[in-house]
Amino acid sequence: MLLRASGETRGDTVDLQAVTDDEARSGVAHGEALTRFADAIVDADPDPIRAARERVAREMGEHAVVDAAAVAANFQRMVRIADATGIPLDKPVAIFSADLREDLGIDRFGAAANTPRVGPLLRLLGRLGQPLLRPIMRLYAREG
Amino acid sequence: MPAFAYADAATPIRDDLAAAHRAYWDELARPGAWWSGVARVAIAQQVRAAWSCSLCAARKQALSPAMVEGEHEPAGALAAPVVDAIHRITTDASRLSKGWFDGVLAAGLDDASYVEMVGVVTSVVSIDAFHDALALPREPLPEPVPGAPSRLRPSTAVQGPAWVPWIPGDRAAGAEADLYPAASRTAHVYMALSLVPDAVRAMGRLSQAHYVGLALVASPGACEPGRALDRTQMELIAGRVSARNECFY
Repeated sequence: MLLRASGETRGDTVDLQAVTDDEARSGVAHGEALTRFADAIVDADPDPIRAARERVAREMGEHAVVDAAAVAANFQRMVRIADATGIPLDKPVAIFSADLREDLGIDRFGAAANTPRVGPLLRLLGRLGQPLLRPIMRLYAREG
Repeated sequence: MPAFAYADAATPIRDDLAAAHRAYWDELARPGAWWSGVARVAIAQQVRAAWSCSLCAARKQALSPAMVEGEHEPAGALAAPVVDAIHRITTDASRLSKGWFDGVLAAGLDDASYVEMVGVVTSVVSIDAFHDALALPREPLPEPVPGAPSRLRPSTAVQGPAWVPWIPGDRAAGAEADLYPAASRTAHVYMALSLVPDAVRAMGRLSQAHYVGLALVASPGACEPGRALDRTQMELIAGRVSARNECFY
């Protein structure tokens, strides 16, 4: 959801399939170079890491290499925190991302068991509310 | 030379990244809430050992990790269930389950010690991943600082929908008033480690240097100043790393 919302904030259309599909084009500037670097970091294989790092450096410069490595490393931490503590998805996220999770195949991940299934009515609400996603996220961010 | 000097780095490393890593290493060496400095550094050692552990490799290939029995290498000074938990979180976190977690507690690890251990494991995984990504040598682990754990369990923690108790956003008060971003709802992932408040604080400091500060996470498009990536590029990496790890959250 943050990928879609941040793309919309910039006026970009992002193909979210690129999160799970190697063949999909994200529509994000230098997206392919960044996803290859992210993949290599997760796989922790030095040769692909080097090749992917050099591609990011060629396309985007050295500072982008450092920042991309930092973001990937951050999520190497966050995914393990989520998986090791059994947190469910936050309810608004669960409702608004139900269709997306199904489309991307994320519902098959083992930790899906930690989040109650979204019922048909809430799922419909989430579908109808997609155009309101950005204002809702803004409220979610600002209201305590 | 101080830790995380990055003097030999082929690419200049931001000062705030070096400072965040150095601050975490300093904290790693000190007694925490439930583990001594010696034990926290031993946990970090096990994180590094897990990547070359043959039992972990065999389990990773198995249809179910429970199908492969054995002992991790090296066992070290920590109790076997602790070592197993460290290795599983490091190498195969997406297949952890509530049943597995209950087994860890049944083996004698209490929930707060578990949470602190998760904080150490995940921070070391992250900092090492950053170094590996840039072909930098991993930082030697710090010398433990003597002392006893504080054994402070926040009285505001309650059992929520996660496996571990946490401090809900509206209960973070008093000594924990600084724990969550003041102007935003509190996402579950921020609360996940709050049974050990310092683990949340460490997470926030590392997140700010690696990604964005916790106060900016829910604001699409927002970035820390001076970054070479825009937020959409960051979120693409975040989504891809999460999916590649089969993380549902």
